[in-house]
Amino acid sequence: MLFSPGWRAPIRQGEVLAVFSLGLVLGGTLSAGVVWLASGLAAPVPTSARALLTVLVAAVAAAREAGLVRLPLLQNSRQIPQEVLMHRLRTGSLQFGFEMGTGVRTYVSASSPYVLALGLLLAHMSAPATLLAGVAFGVGRALSAALTYWARSPDRDMLIAARMTWVKNITALSVLTAVTLLLVVG
Amino acid sequence: MLQLTAPAGRVRRGLTEPLLPVAALALLAVAAAALDAAVLCWAAVGALAGFALSGSV
Repeated sequence: MLFSPGWRAPIRQGEVLAVFSLGLVLGGTLSAGVVWLASGLAAPVPTSARALLTVLVAAVAAAREAGLVRLPLLQNSRQIPQEVLMHRLRTGSLQFGFEMGTGVRTYVSASSPYVLALGLLLAHMSAPATLLAGVAFGVGRALSAALTYWARSPDRDMLIAARMTWVKNITALSVLTAVTLLLVVG
Repeated sequence: MLQLTAPAGRVRRGLTEPLLPVAALALLAVAAAALDAAVLCWAAVGALAGFALSGSV
């Protein structure tokens, strides 16, 4: 959507991508900051209980992505209005990216962001460590947009749609493996 | 847009394959967890979670 030709042609698409990516990172950082502030509430819970709960949620997320359980996700079931991009493309892209980066403003089509949020909430790590994970969330979202930009393919949407089941399943299984190794085995 | 030559197009398609970053980040997350590097592990999980929302607006 951001990189289609036409009315936005006078502005370089790479510039739009950069501003959009900055918004994504800022949004992810903000959400991580909120999670970090709330994570203090989890501190009194025993470490082992927090670890087991995180692994349990990661397992449920992996099962959901594999289609083994049906579980609706809490989400803001609407798109960010495209009007934010209509008038001022740079500030609109920044706002669009920021709102997407928070992860709470629009659809959440995968289970793993919930594991991330709950895992960070229960891990109660230092503020820089939690914020870094939020930055990484924004970078992960930005990477998808960047690959679409670099691919320069009219079939990109179809390719992404064809890969999404694999992307979500591999992500959920690797997150489950990682949190199990980190919190239970380690 | 200029038409890409066939080899360049194939290289571009390969380098922008959506499963590539997923595989790399998955390996990073698991390796960091195995090494008990919690900060790096959660950062990799963060990037994975963000990328898993590809195509979602």
